[in-house]
Amino acid sequence: MTDGHHFNNISLGGRGGGNPGQFKLYSGGLAWKKQGGGKIIEVDKADITSVTWMRIPKSYQLSVGTKEGLCYRFFGFREQDVSSLTNFIQKSTGITPEEKQLSVSGHNWGGIEINGNTLCFNVSSKEAFEISLADVSQSQMQGKTDVVLEFHVDDTTGANEKDSLMDLSFHVPTSNTQFIGDEHRT
Amino acid sequence: GEGRGPSRASNELVAYKNVNDVPFVRELVIQVDQKNEAVLLPIYGSMVPFHVSTVKSVTSHQDNRTCTIRIFFNVPGMPFSNDSKLNSQGAIYLKEITFRSKDPRHSSEVVQQIKTLRRQVASRESERAERAT
Repeated sequence: MTDGHHFNNISLGGRGGGNPGQFKLYSGGLAWKKQGGGKIIEVDKADITSVTWMRIPKSYQLSVGTKEGLCYRFFGFREQDVSSLTNFIQKSTGITPEEKQLSVSGHNWGGIEINGNTLCFNVSSKEAFEISLADVSQSQMQGKTDVVLEFHVDDTTGANEKDSLMDLSFHVPTSNTQFIGDEHRT
Repeated sequence: GEGRGPSRASNELVAYKNVNDVPFVRELVIQVDQKNEAVLLPIYGSMVPFHVSTVKSVTSHQDNRTCTIRIFFNVPGMPFSNDSKLNSQGAIYLKEITFRSKDPRHSSEVVQQIKTLRRQVASRESERAERAT
């Protein structure tokens, strides 16, 4: 028998999201296999750089950041799984999982945080949503204050979703000090 | 800081107070939660709520079987935008988001629902503001 924790009904989050599958956390790392075959994700313990828990509607989500700048999200965990997995992760990787909160206020203003390939939009320091910059096909300035991100949409990403994200734009007021742009301002 | 006057500014309107209040949906499609005055948008596999008061306008466009739904949000510095309500210094705003939908019926339904709800909430809030003055 292998060591670690097995779960049969954990979904892989992200684009097109919510594919159920089997999740395994063992001393060497983690693995996820799509139900009925297909996609497999394997992350070696040595490649894990961050672990985050978040309470989401109906379950808990585990986000795992890797050395390559990728971020995998798994959801479907129960409350009691969180503490047992947290202990296991701490012991096997030495990383203490962080806790993040989901923003549900419905506000459209906040801050942007970029970690590796992941852009996170935070509202009142809580996460409203995350997008993967690896899927951005084009980004451009619109005027002096707006940034438009266009996403790759093809038949595989859009296969199991009725409504697919095409693009979004952020308005960065000139008063913002985090992203001052490359223009010299007077 | 946020104004705490007799009239609630629109930036104090919240969609949900708690994660558990957010409806759980299996299908990742744009939805309207009338009760909580929220529009739920599927972004990277999650349903992300926006209070309808943040929505400036919504448009849809149909081309054969593909529909495009575009939602514009309120940001400061726009004509007619009430900047005093959008007071978060240094904040970055989600300004616009576009979805492609495979279902024309769902697409026109949801756009209509957003428009109606937006109108209802806007007129209620302006009445409230008038009463307060």
